[in-house]
Amino acid sequence: MKQFVYLFLIILFSCEKDDICADTTQTTPRLVIEFYDLTAPDKELAVAGLYALGLDTDALEVPITNEIVMTRTSITLPLKTDDFETEFVLYKSYDIVDGVVRGNPDVIKVTYSTENLYISRACGYITNFQIQTFSIAEDTDQWMRNSEILNYEITNENEIHVKIFH
Amino acid sequence: MKMRSMLKYFISLVGCTMMCMNLHAQQDSIPTIDSLVIKKKYGIRLGIDLSKIARTFLESDYSGLELNGDYRLTNKLYISGEIGTEEQTSVTDYLNSTAKGSYLKIGSDYNMHNNWGDLENLVYFGFRFGASSFEQTLNNYTIYDTNNTTWGQTIIEDSETFSGLSSSWVELMFGFKAEILTNLFVGVNLQLKRRLSESKPENFENIYIPGFGRTFDSGKFGMGFGYNISYLVPFYKKAK
Repeated sequence: MKQFVYLFLIILFSCEKDDICADTTQTTPRLVIEFYDLTAPDKELAVAGLYALGLDTDALEVPITNEIVMTRTSITLPLKTDDFETEFVLYKSYDIVDGVVRGNPDVIKVTYSTENLYISRACGYITNFQIQTFSIAEDTDQWMRNSEILNYEITNENEIHVKIFH
Repeated sequence: MKMRSMLKYFISLVGCTMMCMNLHAQQDSIPTIDSLVIKKKYGIRLGIDLSKIARTFLESDYSGLELNGDYRLTNKLYISGEIGTEEQTSVTDYLNSTAKGSYLKIGSDYNMHNNWGDLENLVYFGFRFGASSFEQTLNNYTIYDTNNTTWGQTIIEDSETFSGLSSSWVELMFGFKAEILTNLFVGVNLQLKRRLSESKPENFENIYIPGFGRTFDSGKFGMGFGYNISYLVPFYKKAK
């Protein structure tokens, strides 16, 4: 009898963790872009002072959480889960001098379809994306010259989805 | 959520303890009568689960009703069953869903308690086979996205119903039934269950199965409890 009650107690309390979404759970994946050398397309090439901002539907710049100015060969960008396209401004050599932004901004746009995938009762659903198009807006001082979609399916952040040549 | 579980658990403990005391008190107070042939009542006992009625009134996200019955085969053995309906809304940070359906459980109870005199109390183990037919509605959900601080949370409000779902399970039961007035019994029981089968909705899962209860990520086990009040309709009496 006693053992039975204890067993019941253990089950009751151990169940609670099922209802809380663990931080380690695979979340909605972001878009991973890697930068390559235009003259040697197999070689990664770091972008000096790379900084990204989102562009909302009114084309206003939206800061991306945890995004900092850094020289690097890849960048990870969050896509809108309630829309089918997201735009970003990618700055090369970003700097702010006396309140004036310096650097070379280029705009990229990714269009996609979404699929919401069931994970668990605690975390609900995550969104997976299928890239339809990826484009770099043309301007007179364009530092990103070309792009290639490597993986159309965005299901995790362990693989590169888009290559950009510069 | 936790408070409610605690409360349920506390009430079960108090309930069990009281039943034990009740049984003991009766054992002590009844003198043994050696010269009489003691006859036991045989018949059908019909009851209702009070906890489900109470929860229907107390909890806004639950409604349920369960009727139960048993038929005595031998001194120790009963054929038992339950039939019921349940509707439960389950809410987590990211998911809100409602399960609704009906179920049937059939099995037997074995009384381990040796009653003194003509007492008819039970301390029993039970076995059940259960089957449920239900539907699940995904009311709304929030996309799980730890990077959503940039663009904001996306909440999907289009509800979707998955109907024609079913599940079966086996369960072990442990409980008491005490005769508080002539032919009137109150009882508590704990149920440990294991799913045998279930039809899973596509791109979703069964969060709650009527009759089985909530499901767990860790496996096919489940649990439940009941507080029953039942009335015995005696058909005949028979010596032990």
